[in-house]
Amino acid sequence: MAASDAQNGVSSVRHAFGNVLAFFILLLIGVLAFSIRLFSVIKYESVIHEFDPYFNYRVTQFLTKNGIYDFWNWFDDRTWYPLGRVIGGTVYPGLTLTAGTLWWILNSLNIPLSVETVCVFTAPIFSAFASWATYLLTKEVKGTGAGLTAAILLAMVPSYISRSVAGSYDNEAVAIFALIFTFYLYIKTLNTGSLFYATLNSIAYFYMVCSWGGYTFIINLIPMHALLCIVTGRYSSRLYIAYAPLVVLGTLLASLVPVVGFNAVMTSEHFASFLVFIIIHVVALVYYIKGILSPKMFKVAVALVVSVGLAVCFAMVAVLIALVASSPTKGWSGRSLSLLDPTYASKYIPIIASVSEHQPPTWPSYFMDINVLAFLVPAGIIACFSPLSDASSFVVLYIVTSVYFSGVMVRLMLVLAPAACILSGIALSQAFDVFTRSIKFQLPHLSDHSQVDAGEGSSENVVPNDSVKADKTEDTSKERTSKKSKKKEKEPVEKPLSKSQIKKRLSVLPLETSVVAIILLVLLGAFYVVHSVWAAAEAYSAPSIVLTSHSHDGLHVFDDFREAYAWLSHNTEVDDKVASWWDYGYQTTAMANRTVIVDNNTWNNTHIATVGTAMSSPEKAAWEIFHSLDVKYVLVVFGGLVGYPSDDINKFLWMVRIGGGVFPHIKEPDYLRDGQYRIDSMATPTMLNCLMYKLSYYRFVETDGKAFDRVRRTEIGKKHFKLTHFEEVFTTHHWMVRIYKLKPPKNRIRGKTKKSKSKTSSKTASKRKGLKRNPF
Amino acid sequence: MSKLIFIFLFLAFIPLLCTSFTPERPSDRRVLVLLDDFAVKSSHSLFFNSLKSRGFDLHFHLADDPKIALQRYGQYLYDALILFSPTVERFGGSVDAAAILDFVDSGHDLIVAADTNASDLIREIATECGVDFDEDPAAMVVDHSGYAASATEGDHTLIASDDFIKSDVILGSKKIEAPILFQGIGHSLNPTNRLVLKALSASPSAFSANPKSKLTSPPSLTGSSISLVSVIQARNNARILVSGSLSMFSNRFFRSGVQKAGSPTKHEKSGNEQFFTELSKWVFHERGHLKALQLQHHKVGESSEPSIYRINDDLEFSVEIFEWSGTSWEPYVADDVQVQFYMMSPYVLKTLSTNGKGRYFTSFKVPDVYGVFQFKVEYEKLGYTSLSLSKQIPVRPFRHNEYERFIPAAYPYYGAAFSMMAGFFVFTAVHLYNK
Amino acid sequence: MARSSSKDAQDLFRALWSAYAATPTNLKIIDLYVMFAVFTALIQVVYIALVGSFPFNSFLSGVLSCVGTAVLAVCLRIQVNKENKEFKDLAPERAFADFVLCNLVLHLVIMNFLG
Repeated sequence: MAASDAQNGVSSVRHAFGNVLAFFILLLIGVLAFSIRLFSVIKYESVIHEFDPYFNYRVTQFLTKNGIYDFWNWFDDRTWYPLGRVIGGTVYPGLTLTAGTLWWILNSLNIPLSVETVCVFTAPIFSAFASWATYLLTKEVKGTGAGLTAAILLAMVPSYISRSVAGSYDNEAVAIFALIFTFYLYIKTLNTGSLFYATLNSIAYFYMVCSWGGYTFIINLIPMHALLCIVTGRYSSRLYIAYAPLVVLGTLLASLVPVVGFNAVMTSEHFASFLVFIIIHVVALVYYIKGILSPKMFKVAVALVVSVGLAVCFAMVAVLIALVASSPTKGWSGRSLSLLDPTYASKYIPIIASVSEHQPPTWPSYFMDINVLAFLVPAGIIACFSPLSDASSFVVLYIVTSVYFSGVMVRLMLVLAPAACILSGIALSQAFDVFTRSIKFQLPHLSDHSQVDAGEGSSENVVPNDSVKADKTEDTSKERTSKKSKKKEKEPVEKPLSKSQIKKRLSVLPLETSVVAIILLVLLGAFYVVHSVWAAAEAYSAPSIVLTSHSHDGLHVFDDFREAYAWLSHNTEVDDKVASWWDYGYQTTAMANRTVIVDNNTWNNTHIATVGTAMSSPEKAAWEIFHSLDVKYVLVVFGGLVGYPSDDINKFLWMVRIGGGVFPHIKEPDYLRDGQYRIDSMATPTMLNCLMYKLSYYRFVETDGKAFDRVRRTEIGKKHFKLTHFEEVFTTHHWMVRIYKLKPPKNRIRGKTKKSKSKTSSKTASKRKGLKRNPF
Repeated sequence: MSKLIFIFLFLAFIPLLCTSFTPERPSDRRVLVLLDDFAVKSSHSLFFNSLKSRGFDLHFHLADDPKIALQRYGQYLYDALILFSPTVERFGGSVDAAAILDFVDSGHDLIVAADTNASDLIREIATECGVDFDEDPAAMVVDHSGYAASATEGDHTLIASDDFIKSDVILGSKKIEAPILFQGIGHSLNPTNRLVLKALSASPSAFSANPKSKLTSPPSLTGSSISLVSVIQARNNARILVSGSLSMFSNRFFRSGVQKAGSPTKHEKSGNEQFFTELSKWVFHERGHLKALQLQHHKVGESSEPSIYRINDDLEFSVEIFEWSGTSWEPYVADDVQVQFYMMSPYVLKTLSTNGKGRYFTSFKVPDVYGVFQFKVEYEKLGYTSLSLSKQIPVRPFRHNEYERFIPAAYPYYGAAFSMMAGFFVFTAVHLYNK
Repeated sequence: MARSSSKDAQDLFRALWSAYAATPTNLKIIDLYVMFAVFTALIQVVYIALVGSFPFNSFLSGVLSCVGTAVLAVCLRIQVNKENKEFKDLAPERAFADFVLCNLVLHLVIMNFLG
């Protein structure tokens, strides 16, 4: 390992060599982080993925075309019709500005890349930056070796790959880098006590606030750490320098971001930092007075200050509590509340709960997303406690909180991943440290080469991709026992080198054990690499806009989404409004350039509920709702023919729930037969008559004669029916997207016909709002 | 031979035909008249002549003539259709009920006259337009108190009715003094149907039954809910006239005097001629046809139309509305035209003032709400074609540099900030000097 | 009891004052500067309590500029304090340069936020 180089480097030449080696390793790590995320481009094509990235892409296009001021003041009239959306004030601009700047720089260097290309590759580039930031952070905590290991782990961690493959142009892509870098600068400031780093820290924090709503994690974690240091008696003036300027400058800078604005001082998410800000001043004053007074007088002062200070504190706390309590949600936004109380969202805000990435994760997803790191983390925590420094306590706090948050929301697994990488990096590095040293001391004549061996050991982590160790449990248990045995004799990194020589002799393990343990660790690393590459190549590279499936007769590509959006953009008027469930809003505006009613920025629950109500209403009521919103086309996603599971019928219960939350005449039990959601012949009449059912299954029986739904694995309940208020205008090749047009109201209103039919026909011929089909 | 003449006529009228297709001249020009037999052509000549004298080009055909066609190569050959063939069971040629309804749905006008024993075909067309004739084929409207005194028959089926629709647009501004003679089948309308209007209703004492037979069960249609003549304006502004009597249009009824039973005044001439002349003017768009154009809006003090407004902008709105007088577009003058500034609900509702030359205008302030608004002029007045215009316009919030600056209340804060800056410089100087 | 505590307090303040009198002049200047900033901040808080929070961004920037100035000055004081062992290897010139940089950023942001 290069770390051992740096530590043992008696000669400056060797030291320099270590630095150069570390530099090249970092460079390779960057290349690795970038290239492992290119599977999606190689296997599919260079496209933007999923839903939110399309919005970001569209915003970036606007930015590059119209400049920053127009972007800042952009009022978008193509979404949330007819409310519109103030994009400039409601979007985290960090990602867009980053990609826009990249594009601008490249273009001014006469490298004519399209905006889309820049957007596609922003995430891989920033994941390389993120792994370098991880190196810096871990280096501050536990030295270069741990830093390199953590960086290489982060470059490949599947959880992060899932959000940053090429094309996944989302806020998290740059936010994770910003998060790690902010933490690094905080630790750096804490270790040096330099105002320079404090300033950089605030600016990094500003970038984070620009990029992602997850910045509240920083502004709560750092105060927690400051408080922890104070409580455990580790207050130092460095802590003051690291913390106080960050709060003041950070709050000011955060208020500059339009989407945050006054929230930076008004909402409870930020109050913790202010409270700690006050506490740290009191503590600083106390330490100062303690410093200049004699112990006796200090006791007197304590008695006096405590009595006065407590009163002041209580007053402050009372004011704060009054402020907090005066706001209805206690000043917390819905998403934050659902973090603190995991049942909150499902109880009150179905729209948050309806997003799959807001659900709690399952245990396999931990294994899938952070793999062996989950087993290395406890070892890393132990390593952090010996010895406990300010920096290592911060890392421990980070992992503990992020484990909790990831347990609440799948999406926050992403925050856990860097912490897990850092701690695993520390654990691995310490383990290698101990084992290589043991070998070195028992084979003194090999001491010259041991560093090289170790160095190769670390770089070998990248190379091997075969021989997956089957008995990984044995592996890890071994890992742990070895860790326990070496816990006591762990070498503090900061200790001077000369003193450690004697100690090292005491902390040697038997040669065979060391060799076996190193081999096992390398195997473990190899397993991780294999898993990560598999995850990058297979699991997380699908753009979800193009789907593929393997069957006995080869590869099938389902490109229905783009087919449908292209149809919309070529066959409809520019100002036509397209209604769909909100999942497809961003894509429709970005790819079809048509006005949508709701989109993935779920800021207006009522509007979404209106669409949900329309989808769950009978045809006529739905027609009236859509007509009142000037909707011309309705788009539904239907997977029943090809077995695409995340289609609108499977999302339908959420539409019912969200619609019913605002419009009480929609009742969920009406759509369920004995509490079961079904669309076969046992389904309720309400279900079989609602618009979503009809639009999904219209003419479905004509495909195979049986109307067998391959997602629900059942024959549908109502096969032959006609649409009276909608007409089918387009259905894609695999029936995945179906587009319907609202029929205009009838030109004439029928009278009654024969007596026998008069009742029914007069019902259907009741009045409707006037839309003139053919005015002169 | 007649075909040749027809073609010749067609060619001769080509210039006229071309102009008649433009929406600039909404009055109908070419009218197809379908008859049960050609005797009607002479027995109803007064009505036809009044149409001809107003410039209409009438084409008479027997209803079951196999050569009749409404359209050729997707183009309609006629602008209007008169069905004076109450008993026809099947039209000749390619024409059927659906073809006639399509004709209406593409914006053409229709006059339907039924009679007792009206065929199912005629009933079906009427029903599709929202008019329900009495189910009993032999039924007639009988009125034992409102009958025409001049009638010799004793069954009181010849009715003198003066219960007109109260609309100058439909019936002309000149009041119809004499009652209308009616003899035929009554019909009812769905009261929830907003498109269909009773032009002539029966008196409260009327009922619909077979006068030849004894009344066994209560008649299905009674009183003033019976409509004798109805007019329909479809959503596309096509106009339809449905009458329960063909003889109403006849020269005999036009000429005959009328005295309503119980009324002392005896009119020399029935009101039928005036009634149908005026009504046909309405049906053939010679009256009550509006068009709106030049929907314009701009900020106060500017003249070009912006692509977006800002909240609290002052704007001016104007629209021009004209009415077709049969020969030219005249300015339409009314004081009830309103404009809505609409986003899910009207935020601004203003009555437009007019300059008497067709231009309507107003000015108002954009509400303090951003979103995609619409200027909406929805004008639906009895008898007039409905106007529905809308123009989409987004309204944006303030730009970042459009907010108020240098607020007096904030001067202390400015002072504090600048004093801090000054303090910083002073402190820097002192600190450096001191060292 | 009351008398003894008030006497204690007097002793305390006397001790504090004498201890403080021993601080070097440059630290005293910094202290004065801090006091000035805190005082300005307090005036603004009183002012907003009187007139209401309408131009809230101006208030925020006004107060935070004072608080920021004070905090940065305290940081500088900590760093240039000769008695503080933690920052022996940090040259006062370097500390002051950092301080100036930090202040520049602060006032830039304040200017942005004030209007």
